[in-house]
Amino acid sequence: MTHSMKRQKMWADFFKLLVGILLVIFVMTPILITVFASFKDRAGMTNTSPLALPIGDSFTLENYIKVFSDKKLYIGFKNTAIIAVVSIFFNVFFGSVTAYCLERFKFKGRSVVFALFFLGMMIPTFVTEISRFKIIEGMNLYNTLGAPIIIYVASDLMQLYIYRQFISKISVSIDESALIDGCSYFRVFWQIVFPLMAPATATVIIIKAVNIINDMFIPYLYMPGNKLKTLTTFLMNYSSAQKGSWQLLSAAIVIVLIPTIAIYVVFQKRIIGGLAAGAVKE
Amino acid sequence: MKQYSLTRQRNLFIWISLAVPVLLLVIFVVYPALDLISMSFTHWDGLASTREFAGLSNYAKMLADADLWLSLRNNCIYFLVHLLAIPVELAIAVMLSGKMRAAGFFKSITFLPYVVNGVAIAYAFSYFFSPINGGFNAILSLLGADSLIRNWLSDSSIVNFVLASVSIWRFSGYHIILFISALASIPEDIIEAASIDGANAWQKFWKIQIPSITLLVDFILFENVRGALQVFEIPFIITNGGPGYASSTFTLYTINTAFQYRNFGLASTMAVAIMLLIVVVQVIQNTAVSRARTREDRKRSMQLRRQGAKK
Repeated sequence: MTHSMKRQKMWADFFKLLVGILLVIFVMTPILITVFASFKDRAGMTNTSPLALPIGDSFTLENYIKVFSDKKLYIGFKNTAIIAVVSIFFNVFFGSVTAYCLERFKFKGRSVVFALFFLGMMIPTFVTEISRFKIIEGMNLYNTLGAPIIIYVASDLMQLYIYRQFISKISVSIDESALIDGCSYFRVFWQIVFPLMAPATATVIIIKAVNIINDMFIPYLYMPGNKLKTLTTFLMNYSSAQKGSWQLLSAAIVIVLIPTIAIYVVFQKRIIGGLAAGAVKE
Repeated sequence: MKQYSLTRQRNLFIWISLAVPVLLLVIFVVYPALDLISMSFTHWDGLASTREFAGLSNYAKMLADADLWLSLRNNCIYFLVHLLAIPVELAIAVMLSGKMRAAGFFKSITFLPYVVNGVAIAYAFSYFFSPINGGFNAILSLLGADSLIRNWLSDSSIVNFVLASVSIWRFSGYHIILFISALASIPEDIIEAASIDGANAWQKFWKIQIPSITLLVDFILFENVRGALQVFEIPFIITNGGPGYASSTFTLYTINTAFQYRNFGLASTMAVAIMLLIVVVQVIQNTAVSRARTREDRKRSMQLRRQGAKK
């Protein structure tokens, strides 16, 4: 390598690092400013710049203490957890076997079932609630945890992609030899194939958990009751109650941000891999 | 005989397994979609037990609704801003998938916004852009650009661009990660061979990396149309469409028509319009993708033939 090439490479590395740092600043600034505000007292909010660290006189834990003393926060945690666990259980249960049937077998009516699921994935989110609302009300599910659960189980279909992709990699000979040994199809799937799909199941669980914790509109629309707040709708409620008190709201924002960020930090490889697989459907 | 019973057993397994998920899908997804179409021909306040037949009047009303057209124009702003961001996203993806110090760390940070709670982040941005002690104005005055300071969320000439930039913050990382995973699937020997032949990074980018990921670029372009049509959460939380309807979007306007103004017939009509637009986009996408596929297959078979000839 000549001297000038070395220099060129150094400049290229420097430029890349600079872009990377700008990227980090772009992503982290709105989050960090909120974190700063969450540790400031009322005087600190007006006397110091929003960019200033919460140090010295303005530092306080009061905002967090106040948010954590709100019972609705715990209700939100509990409801979000219940909705997530139950919905994900059924998503895994139905999603894995549906993907298996569609991927493995040619049967009468397959194209109809396929078309239905394809249609289901094309139907826009949000506006479908205009007509779904009536069905939920008619089933007496309005203002119950059942409303979001049944909607997530019925309509959130991205797990099918993740499972289908995984099943296509499992050799058919595994199913066949088990069938020859006299296993029923149910046993072949639930005792042999399903355990083999554990990595896909883990991906589904993690991505669904993130989606459900973050979802806003369905719990907002179907569960206005005070006892039925989720983490996200708790925050919406808190925001309208604390208008103008950014330091308190900031603490609530940070608390609501933490669960999914924690999941991301631990499982980022799975989340990224699963979402990339779910997007580009082949 | 055994074969017969095995087939029967198989069909039993399939139908028992599929019955519940298909039923749920029909009741909670397919039926509501069809019901939107039938509701679009009626007047209904969401409460009365009967719906009054309205013919095409909702459709006429929708097409004449200036605020709805304004909302659709706002959707176009999101589309354009995201479109302009795609080359930047691609450049960042190329940079992060090349040899770079701490590339893993930068990738994690890039994708973080897509995973965080959208509502919490929307409130964080309300604070960031707020006129009193907002972070963005503080940054501007730190940079000596005090003259640019303004009320970002209540100025109707800029509010959509501010919200679209929040959308960029939230969703660009997703595109970047998709680009990175597509770039990673390009066989390394092709790129190495090009380097040996003396290609520079720019040539490699245009002649190898871009042509290899056209399918994904197509996908992201169409995803952008679909996403822009359905923008909802960001304006809903940050401005609720205000001031006036200045930052309303098609979906937000539709939802408010139904659940705030209780005009379910008209709202269904708008929902049908969104569905139609999405179906049209999907159809165009399918033809475009299958065309790109055949083009690629032809290219590949030609390459193979050429290689065969060399040998």
